[in-house]
Amino acid sequence: MFDFAIAGIQAPLFLLILTGFTVGIVGGFIGVGGGYMVTPALIVFGFPGYMASGIDMTHIAGKGVVSTIRHRQLGNIDWVLGLAMIGGTMLGVEQGVRLLTWTKELGLSGIVLLTASVVIMLVLFVYTQIETAQAHKKMTKMAQEGEKVGRELTVSKGPAFFQRIPLFPIVRCRTAKIVVSMWVIVVVGIVTGILAGFLGVGGGFIRVPALIYIVGASTHIAVGTDLLEIAVSGGYGALRHSMMGNVDMIAVLFMIVGAMFGAQFGSIATAYVRGPAIRYILSYSLVLACVGAFLRLIYMMTGQKYEILSFFAVVFTLGEMLFLCLFIISLVYFSVRYTNGKNVPDWVPALVVAKK
Amino acid sequence: MKWFINSMIGYWILLLAISLGAAAVVYEVWLRGNI
Repeated sequence: MFDFAIAGIQAPLFLLILTGFTVGIVGGFIGVGGGYMVTPALIVFGFPGYMASGIDMTHIAGKGVVSTIRHRQLGNIDWVLGLAMIGGTMLGVEQGVRLLTWTKELGLSGIVLLTASVVIMLVLFVYTQIETAQAHKKMTKMAQEGEKVGRELTVSKGPAFFQRIPLFPIVRCRTAKIVVSMWVIVVVGIVTGILAGFLGVGGGFIRVPALIYIVGASTHIAVGTDLLEIAVSGGYGALRHSMMGNVDMIAVLFMIVGAMFGAQFGSIATAYVRGPAIRYILSYSLVLACVGAFLRLIYMMTGQKYEILSFFAVVFTLGEMLFLCLFIISLVYFSVRYTNGKNVPDWVPALVVAKK
Repeated sequence: MKWFINSMIGYWILLLAISLGAAAVVYEVWLRGNI
């Protein structure tokens, strides 16, 4: 146990580093900050709620920079797309925070927040899971028929619809290879920003699906570009939280020690897989976070009487990070095996790239 | 055991069981007193 003087608690040091490492891998892979996993985990470790948010946001800023640099080297960042979204997101977050303050004044914020989290994550999980399973099936069929299978395939009709909206100015996002109205990008940023500001999260788990299914970016570009966004918004959030005294920098430093390595691995791992693999991991993270939030909601609504619910909520929160990390490492392992011509399960070839 | 590796759903269940088991151990050994 380590004595965190600023937070005024003792917490297990290796768990902090391990959390930074596992969420770094997940965040670098699916393009999220991981706040919806880390903040509850830090509360479980003993940090007060306001400090858990501050530590999480500050470590996300550092991890976001590491991931952005790596994704830039992999060619996964579209600067036009990223900078246009940042503007919209900043506006949206401000409105989302005001909405949260209003629900707090009505005395409803805890239950409303958790219910909104559960509903949003469930809807995103269902859509992402169904679309990805259809894309996976199509890629498997193409591979069996001897057709060339590219790195990305989506079956969603959303991008075709939104890219046809003729509102001036129309921007050409060269890296993402899309041509779309700037207003589509800005409005997506505003709406996802409102949701993020209201839920008190970075919003990556909302923005990445929005970039894929509305704007039409490929999964890899959506992940890299969103991490750029997270580095910027995380930096601003870290500054604000520090000014309010919500940050224990020693805790942040230990988390970043783990996150530095995790984020590198997670970012590089995207080069070993196709788009549907990343979307699968994103959908799993949503459903597990949804289950954890649902258990906490039931625990709160039953007046915190049933300790077993709290136990399961904690185990799900910690187990989710480990599960996602293990799945990502497995995908890289299977990709290496597949490249070397060794046996892999039948569901693997359509999800991984044979790296020469 | 083969089904847990050869089927995607089976692999999902296997990894989830390992992860939740490890999380339960971590909770019992290091975190129980904090809640």
